[in-house]
Amino acid sequence: MKSEKRVKRVRRIRVENGLNKDMQAKLVILFVMVLLAFAGLGVRLITITRDNGERYKKQVLSQQKYNSITLPYKRGDILDCKGNKLATSEKVYNMIIDAKVMLDKDESLEATLDALRTCFPTLDISAIRNHVTQNPTSQYHIVKKQLTYDEISAFLEMDNNNEEYPDIAGVWFENEYKRIYPNNSLASDVIGFTVRGEGGQYGLEQYYNDVLEGINGRDYGYLNEDETLERTTIPATDGYNIVTTIDANIQQIAEKYLYQFNEEYKNSARDGNGANNLGCIIMDVDSGDILAMASYPTFDLNNPRDTSRLVGMKKSELNGTVPYDAVVLTESNIEEELADDELKNANLANLWKNFCISNTYEPGSTYKPFTVACGLEAGKLTGEEYYTCNGALQVADHNIKCHNYKKGGCGTLSVKGAVENSCNVSFMLMGRQIGSPTFLEYQSKYNFGLKTNIDLYGESRTDSLIFSGDTMGETELATSTFGQGFNVTMIQMITGFCSLINGGYYYEPHMVSKITASDGSVVKTITPRVLKQTISEQTSAEIVDYCIGVVEEGTGKEARPAGYRIGGKTGTAEMVPRDRTNYLLSFMGFAPADNPQIAIYIVVDRPNSWVQDNVGFARKLCKQILTEVLPYMNIYMTEELSEKEEAELAELNITIKKATQPEEEEQPEVTDAPDVDEEGNIDPHGGDVTSSNQVTEEEMNSDDVELAPLTGNVLNVETGEAVRENTDEVPY
Amino acid sequence: MKFHTNDPDRVKPYIDFSLILITLFLVAFGLIMVYSTSSYEASMSAVTKNDAAYYLKKQAAASIVGIVLMIFVSYIPYHFWEKLSGIAYVVSAVLIGLVLTPLGYEANGARRWLRIGISVQPAEIAKLAMIIFVAGLICKLKDGINTRKGMAFIMAPPALICLMVWQITDNMSSAIIIFGISFVMLFIASRDYKKFIVFAAAAAGLVALLIFAITKMADSDKFGFRGARILAWLDPEAYASGKGFQTLQALYAIGSGGLFGKGLGQSIQKQGFLPEAQNDMIFSVICEELGLFGGICIMLLFAFLLWRLMVIANNATDLYGALLVVGVMAHISIQVVLNIAVVTNTVPNTGISLPFISYGGSSVMFLLIEMGLVNSVGRKIRF
Repeated sequence: MKSEKRVKRVRRIRVENGLNKDMQAKLVILFVMVLLAFAGLGVRLITITRDNGERYKKQVLSQQKYNSITLPYKRGDILDCKGNKLATSEKVYNMIIDAKVMLDKDESLEATLDALRTCFPTLDISAIRNHVTQNPTSQYHIVKKQLTYDEISAFLEMDNNNEEYPDIAGVWFENEYKRIYPNNSLASDVIGFTVRGEGGQYGLEQYYNDVLEGINGRDYGYLNEDETLERTTIPATDGYNIVTTIDANIQQIAEKYLYQFNEEYKNSARDGNGANNLGCIIMDVDSGDILAMASYPTFDLNNPRDTSRLVGMKKSELNGTVPYDAVVLTESNIEEELADDELKNANLANLWKNFCISNTYEPGSTYKPFTVACGLEAGKLTGEEYYTCNGALQVADHNIKCHNYKKGGCGTLSVKGAVENSCNVSFMLMGRQIGSPTFLEYQSKYNFGLKTNIDLYGESRTDSLIFSGDTMGETELATSTFGQGFNVTMIQMITGFCSLINGGYYYEPHMVSKITASDGSVVKTITPRVLKQTISEQTSAEIVDYCIGVVEEGTGKEARPAGYRIGGKTGTAEMVPRDRTNYLLSFMGFAPADNPQIAIYIVVDRPNSWVQDNVGFARKLCKQILTEVLPYMNIYMTEELSEKEEAELAELNITIKKATQPEEEEQPEVTDAPDVDEEGNIDPHGGDVTSSNQVTEEEMNSDDVELAPLTGNVLNVETGEAVRENTDEVPY
Repeated sequence: MKFHTNDPDRVKPYIDFSLILITLFLVAFGLIMVYSTSSYEASMSAVTKNDAAYYLKKQAAASIVGIVLMIFVSYIPYHFWEKLSGIAYVVSAVLIGLVLTPLGYEANGARRWLRIGISVQPAEIAKLAMIIFVAGLICKLKDGINTRKGMAFIMAPPALICLMVWQITDNMSSAIIIFGISFVMLFIASRDYKKFIVFAAAAAGLVALLIFAITKMADSDKFGFRGARILAWLDPEAYASGKGFQTLQALYAIGSGGLFGKGLGQSIQKQGFLPEAQNDMIFSVICEELGLFGGICIMLLFAFLLWRLMVIANNATDLYGALLVVGVMAHISIQVVLNIAVVTNTVPNTGISLPFISYGGSSVMFLLIEMGLVNSVGRKIRF
């Protein structure tokens, strides 16, 4: 009872001071309303789950980010035989702006922009400010691409220095690789280039694309068994490096003289380059290693689409052919002529292709050693024959002339003499002895009509460009003996020629000697491969002897570099249209004469001269190039030097090396290729020249051939007349 | 017995342990959910220094300070606050004004914060101040509140604060909450029903009319982002990449959770898809991870908390204390209902946090202070 009383009292007090009954009722009503609201929301939750649960579950899974972030691989380097980088991939950095982070602190924006202004003076700061203020939630905006580490290092230092620059935020760098060609245009036709760092185009880049390419790494998400997202990183696998057989110094020497040639002859008889094409291959005779493969015009591998390199070339058609009377591209007409993009691409493709393996042409008299070798090897010739040349030979319906036609012919010549004097009549007579079946058999033994399978992209097929038993008649055989009527590539010629002089071993020509992994380990070594024996060692020795004769007694005298004895064969091929204004001059040689190590093949395709049929163009290039290459390769000089030659060598900074000087034998001094500036001039400083040779009067005269000042024609030393070597009235 | 009745202070004070337990449970559960929802984003973002526990640490610090303040406030006799009514009002008004001065700062695109030693949202202070102020005002007017004039007199000062919160800090949801708190307190204290029903009906009608106008209007730009939010509310999938994005992602989260959810910490939506996952949208992640079951359990916990508040209010020894508790009850009810309504797209999207659970230092701290007030009122109850 007492407690009941107390409750009543307490209630009364509460009624007086706290909420009265009405208020309490209202509070209960309020509470019930809230409970009803809760119940309503609970029902809503249930309906959402029941009606849309499955659909929403799929939605949630479908908007997951399974897509991956690519981790770029590094494309393999292309190295020369000494390890110099011809092509490499450099890590570059893309600058990314994260506006959200940059705006997180009030001070960050200005502090960061100030730092960017200091470190990147060329950057458009106001554009960044606009982007950040207008897109405050943007987290990924590329401002500048392909910055080098040197360019960004100053900024990184500031960014990492939290004491002095605490407010820099919202800038980061993304990795990427950029293909770099440190030597720009050096060996451009051989190396090829890439499109945006991958997908090799032309040359080694395309041929070895699979080797050079690595595999991109990935950072990606996937759903595991519990339907939760997990992410995994697979690191990138870098591409393999390739070590080429190219020697960058030899390549540089060859290219320097091709460039000089062009500078000398361009725009002289007609607008345009010094010749339609210039090509030079230097090859190791006993392995098929290509030491240099140069051609002109070249292009900048770092900017292959630069059309200014087309200036001087003849404009090609859409299908890539260059008609005889094509327009020459000049600085003033190039925009107009190549307004059509497809046409521009066709012309660029023409520039990018490698003349040495892609162009086909009639070789001319440089084929003559192949003809003689065939006759000797097949037993059709003994080497003891004599031929009489009266200036022309009647073959079927054609009277085919020799180059000495106007002088009444070459007279009576031995086989060696026929080679030395490049007598067409003698060769046509040899051809009759050989017969077309044997001629064709050997032509295919020398691999003409087949690809050499050199490891470069773009080697031409010539199978339809040579004669077969069905198509070769009397006339065709006659002209084929001196290299007219069928087509070859430069690489076919020099590869076959190497087999003629190295004892008959036909090596597969190749550019790459080794494939290495990014950690330096050797993945594959490519050893020289003998494909076949074309001729016997005995026949080979004969051919070597004949070719030495060409340089010592015959048409090739002018090709000999000072201090060395070499062998070789000249060629002046008439080109289509056969109007006696289009010629392809060539010289194919080997050095040193006694122990051939390298072979060289020079082609001058339609020189820019009023008189084109002058093989002096090719001989001169051969001499210039070998004069530097042979000493560079530490091949000792065997011949006496004239004072004039010594002076020439001194000017080139070439150290004279003689096997008879023991102290130099012990420490052979390697001279690097001289520095060449933009005009192709040689830096006269550096590299001492030692000379201990006495030069005789006799020697000075023997090889001294003068050039006619206006025509550029080679003058005969005795008669003072222009020396000509041409074929005549060839019915094609 | 006489001894006890004559000297109530000697009686052991009433402490509502279940209320305190629920409060602490909600705070602890909130910390777990804040970590669960924010750790992925925090670990990915440079803003938070890639620290997965970045938000958890800040929230835990505010919670601890809040609990200390709750205990402290519960020992202060609550009539102390009655004397401070006027000061509380002025202080809250001044603080809102200070947002415009350099002391104020902007975050997440809105200028709502003050940096005075610590960073606080004046709107959160205003909620507490308004509870203290309106309770004091009602007690002062006594029966006067039942006249139309008295009602206007009571509602005018909070309305002014609401206007300031809305206009100065661009925070309409806080303005609505402050107005709602004052309105509920007046409703409880008043003898009238009719006027409140009419007012509520009128307000509902106005809102309906506004929504109708917006849907009929081709050019919703006139109503600014709030107009766009209403259109997105009516058809979130039509605005899936814009204003409807957050709501739709919240619905995906709720719907994909199923009955028992994907398990604590297993939410997919929190991984960059659901904006403000640790804040306004935390309830949808609770549903995704713990399912319908978890979501409804949380609602039941709030219902229980509100019931305890009602019991204390109904038993408070005086009107002032009762009104303080009613204010707190109104505050929590309005926020819980509106938050869940937003998350389930029952009302248009507006930023309202879930009491005790959502991330937000000011919010949890002032809510705990309010719980301290409730406990100080409870201590005077004699059963």
